[in-house]
Amino acid sequence: MISGTASVDELAAGAAEIAAFGTEPVRLGGVTGLSLVAELRRQAREDVLPPGLHPIVPPAMSLLAWDVSESPWGPFSAVFIRVVCRSGARARTFCVGAAASTAEAVAGLRSQFGFPAQRADVVLRRHYDGIDLAVTPADETVDNAVARNGTGPMLELSALDPDPLSVGDLQHVGSMNLAHTPLGLRLVQVETHHEPSRVERLSARIDAFDAAAWGQPLLDPYWIVSCSVSLEDIEIPAIRFVCDPLKPAAEGTERVQ
Amino acid sequence: MKFGIFFELSVPRPFSRANEWLTYHNALEQCRVADELGFDHVWAVEHHFLEEYSHCPAPEVFLTAVAAQTQRIRVGHGAVVCVPEMNNPIRVAERAAALDIVSNGRLELGTARSSTWTELGGFCADPDDTKKTWDEFVRVIPQMWTSDDFGWEGARFEMPARNVIPKPFQAPHPPMWVTVTTPGTELDAAERGLGCLGVSAAPFAEQERRTAEYYRRVADCDPVGSFVNDQVHTLNFLYCHEDYRQAAALGLPMVGAFSMSNAHLYFTREAYPTRAYQTLGNAGAALRSRGTPNGAAAADDPSAAKGLPEGVGVGDPDHLVRTIRKWEDVGVTGINFLLNAMEMIPQEQVLDSLRLFAAEVIPQFQTPAERAARVQAPTTVPEVGPAGGAASTPKVGRPGEAASTAAAPVGAGR
Repeated sequence: MISGTASVDELAAGAAEIAAFGTEPVRLGGVTGLSLVAELRRQAREDVLPPGLHPIVPPAMSLLAWDVSESPWGPFSAVFIRVVCRSGARARTFCVGAAASTAEAVAGLRSQFGFPAQRADVVLRRHYDGIDLAVTPADETVDNAVARNGTGPMLELSALDPDPLSVGDLQHVGSMNLAHTPLGLRLVQVETHHEPSRVERLSARIDAFDAAAWGQPLLDPYWIVSCSVSLEDIEIPAIRFVCDPLKPAAEGTERVQ
Repeated sequence: MKFGIFFELSVPRPFSRANEWLTYHNALEQCRVADELGFDHVWAVEHHFLEEYSHCPAPEVFLTAVAAQTQRIRVGHGAVVCVPEMNNPIRVAERAAALDIVSNGRLELGTARSSTWTELGGFCADPDDTKKTWDEFVRVIPQMWTSDDFGWEGARFEMPARNVIPKPFQAPHPPMWVTVTTPGTELDAAERGLGCLGVSAAPFAEQERRTAEYYRRVADCDPVGSFVNDQVHTLNFLYCHEDYRQAAALGLPMVGAFSMSNAHLYFTREAYPTRAYQTLGNAGAALRSRGTPNGAAAADDPSAAKGLPEGVGVGDPDHLVRTIRKWEDVGVTGINFLLNAMEMIPQEQVLDSLRLFAAEVIPQFQTPAERAARVQAPTTVPEVGPAGGAASTPKVGRPGEAASTAAAPVGAGR
């Protein structure tokens, strides 16, 4: 069994802070969701995960995008870049980067669920025969642009030819977010409950992906596995478990509530 | 009750040529010992790219070696992947027939469709299609074995008429099975008259329900082959020691490590939304079979998957007899055991476990005649005729029974 080898200190560079664990779920209404899975090159297997998580073979990235009509933070759009992994025996993803279109959403995602969210312009636009997603930095400084070696989009993808699926055909996997919590630096386990009314599978193409802009230069989503789009309501329950990023789940899990 | 040994050929990290050699040759030695001890079956999987979990992509090679080194034990594909990007059905029929001949009629042919994205994606196979291609494979293979002029125009496979040779040694053909990981596949097996080769853990109650439904449906099936194979086997682990605590100390970590390596596979359901894969395969079954007394909350607890499926074959002989009685009670006709995982248990102790099980446990499930049969040297060739002979085709029978075969219809399918 292989485990992550990334430096937790380095991974924690952009970590969010959860001052207090919430007790109530957050409901997102009228969500257009896009989910894309792509295989990564082998260099991004152990090296992008903390020791408490386990890579899969082949390494894969799970990209999630939401265009949300109703939420406690108002309407917003967001993108989550995640590496598929295992926590103990459980299917999970490790969130290496996230972006949201409003300051309120960035604050909520960071402070309540530990997502490493940053502000960006996120546009998820649906067409009659497909969907486009574009993420560009918001208010980017020159230093940031130099650091990520360019000023282009952080992400651009398009997907075409929707093919209807049953609403139960789409599986959602929770995120493990490295965040500073009242218990210390922890992997925060974030589950999502989905109530989809429509699910479609599409053929997707990634036109631009700036790995450095998402905080993990090793990510190279070179082989697209699947892409799906859904219309749904989403509930994010309050955090129940956190894990020590240096220990396997069987030893390092703590119950929050 | 039949007893078999089942090989994934899991290899410990760090990978090395020596580790892979050791895993294969330890397994072959286990087969030779199991043959001498009276086990009924050796099964080998077909998996591709599943690092650590299974380094067994060419089971026909492994099983041929087993056949060459043993006298009595039956050799089974557990199972051939019926996905055209991985196997052409003509080649499956040819290889299986050849293995049946060199093994003197000891072949069992399990069929499967793969459950991981690692494998399907590696071969650029379409997950939407695997159930359909599996269905077509299990229909054409027995016809290739029994007809001297077989052609097919199907949905996903076609060929002009040819005589697919050689024919298998067993008449009318080797027993056919389907591996069952996800709930519902046992119904696919029953409807086609295929044996139910369980390859994932299921609790007693679920196994009993599924087995009962299988038997109900298989009694009225339309078999794809020349006879109905209505056997139900389940998969288990085996570590048997006189002292229960020592058995648990060595056996349970092996079970846990294997289950964990299974959970770390990248299942199709997770990577590719499709109607064709509704569960997580073995991993989902393993997690469902573990106790989750706190319900949904416990199921989400990343530290909760530390329990073991019930009915595991780890313990002293008395414990194993009681455990197997329960499996017998729920209707399974055979249990196939994984003996090791990642070579965690030293080879001598694996062999000692096999010997103790054969001496103390197997006899409890045998009639006197079966016990006597096991100690005979089975070196004679089975008295079955070559395939392709007489006109009538028995549609219900038992594997190994002398039976004549008939040419299957040519050009069936769509």
